[in-house]
Amino acid sequence: MNVGVAHSEVNPNTRVMNSRGIWLTYLLLTVVLHIILLSIPFFTVPLVWTLTNVIHNLVMYLFLHTVKGTPFETPDQGKARLLTHWEQMDYGVQFTSSRKFLTISPIVLHILASFYTKYDPTHFLINTCSLLSVLLPKLPQFHGVRIFGINKY
Amino acid sequence: MSSGQQWVLVEMVQAFYEAPAYHLILEGILILWIFRLLFSKTYKLHETSKLTEKEKEELIEEWQPEPLIAPLLSKQQPSVKYDVVTGPPSHRIIVNGRECINFASFNFLGLLDHEQIKQKALASLKKYGVGTCGPRGFYGTFDVHLELESRLANFMKTEEAIIYSYGFATIASAIPAYSKRGDIIFVDEAACFSIQKGLQASRSIIKYFKHNDFDDLERLLKEQEQEDQKNPRKARVTRKFVVVEGLYINTADICPLPELVNLKYKYKLRIFLEESMSFGVLGEHGRGVTEHFGVNIDDIDLISANMENAMASIGGFCCGRSFVIDHQRLSGQGYCFSASLPPMLAAAAIEALNIMEENPDIFTVLREKCSHVHKALCGIPGLKLVGEPFSPALHLQLERGSGSRDSDMQLLRSIVDHCLEKHVALTLARYLEREERLLPPASIRMVVTAEHTEEDIQQAVRCIREAASALLK
Repeated sequence: MNVGVAHSEVNPNTRVMNSRGIWLTYLLLTVVLHIILLSIPFFTVPLVWTLTNVIHNLVMYLFLHTVKGTPFETPDQGKARLLTHWEQMDYGVQFTSSRKFLTISPIVLHILASFYTKYDPTHFLINTCSLLSVLLPKLPQFHGVRIFGINKY
Repeated sequence: MSSGQQWVLVEMVQAFYEAPAYHLILEGILILWIFRLLFSKTYKLHETSKLTEKEKEELIEEWQPEPLIAPLLSKQQPSVKYDVVTGPPSHRIIVNGRECINFASFNFLGLLDHEQIKQKALASLKKYGVGTCGPRGFYGTFDVHLELESRLANFMKTEEAIIYSYGFATIASAIPAYSKRGDIIFVDEAACFSIQKGLQASRSIIKYFKHNDFDDLERLLKEQEQEDQKNPRKARVTRKFVVVEGLYINTADICPLPELVNLKYKYKLRIFLEESMSFGVLGEHGRGVTEHFGVNIDDIDLISANMENAMASIGGFCCGRSFVIDHQRLSGQGYCFSASLPPMLAAAAIEALNIMEENPDIFTVLREKCSHVHKALCGIPGLKLVGEPFSPALHLQLERGSGSRDSDMQLLRSIVDHCLEKHVALTLARYLEREERLLPPASIRMVVTAEHTEEDIQQAVRCIREAASALLK
């Protein structure tokens, strides 16, 4: 997305994940979160990794799969009113690079968390559940699907 | 690297070897998934609706090709054959070189050729030039615009007003500024064309109720209420509007506003009121239907009116509470994207407001003339008068239509022509016939203004009577 100049997007949400530096910003924010958690005394390394993973996934779930519509005044009479940010991204085209990036990042985080929690079953259960909560809604099969009408309107 | 950290790493690797099998299998699947993702191609999700062969055939069967070239317009079409006006279309109008009494222009208060207004407009023209060449946000906001907005707000006794540079675009932009996809608009069937365009642009769900029939509206509202109870979460994000006209331009009757206000609070609606015909006409001070019925203006969420009728300028305005009106400054498409009102016209509108405020008797005079004309036009054999006695724009329909709109129009046109020869200018009400939601019957639209004298009215009525008795059997 152009920064500092006028853009021609009807709905800027569609392209915000393709703007320059946004992937790096996202990675840096995750690292900062991890470092902040590490700096808290009495938190063990496995606990910090699971916390990083869970908080990351919660935030991702909230911003990509819960909040619907746009914060912008769009001239399309509210076309995206009932779509989550993930569904608006790249006009709904599947497997674009930003979609791939945002799918791979929680997986990598999960693998790292598994390694640093020494494959402990409890941590594994928590981490996997939180991973699934952000992976399943990203599947093309779940595009626009609201299971049991959750978060439908 | 200290030996302690090395030991930790060794321990971690050790843990990996001792990890449970299910865990490693999941990790393996995830890694495979990453690879699959990396190599998968992008594609667009289609909103697939697979048609069966039978459905396809039905669709092909239904399709009616349009002719490549539209049929030629007949020479009688008003868009091909028009009357030419020279000079101001005020009290007297020169149609095709013939001076007539004007019963056709919406110049209700006779402000069109008003000397005071012309002087103010001229002074403004000398100061600002003609156009503004920019929308309000791009150096198109002049001091006169702000003055006009605050004067209009004062006149209507509302918090804020916003002006548009084109009357038709006012309500047509205001509706889609608030009502979006998924919202519901309840609207009177007889609503004017600019409202219909606004409804179309809003992409909302449109529910029509029978003209001025609030029982029908209540039936729709009850249906909606039941629907909402079934799905309260959807109801919470659905806005509901009701759009009505003050005086209907197509039927010349009034909207029973007090009943609507009751329904508004009962069913939680927002009322949009289009007052192009009633602003500057109804009420003791010309404030329109709200003043006529004594309805508190704050009960109406948005009032929109045209400055092209009673005020004899150009453009339109919306007024209401500040937090409602202010929304249009960024969302009203007609406001944001068209060049602002020429300052000359804004100055003329301010002067028109001055005149309206200085002599509120003008409204009483107009109402008396209206009821006078209404009485005089009643009972012309062959013609049916439609409209309220206080409406300044009345419709004369054929008592017995021939069944064909074209021949009705021709018959009425011959009456108009007859009157034109006798120096009385009338006009037919014209519609985009194929696009109107509810096409009103063919009619002559007779406009009464405060300028008409007793003789004018008598002459006009006499002409119409003559023509009717000669042409209608």
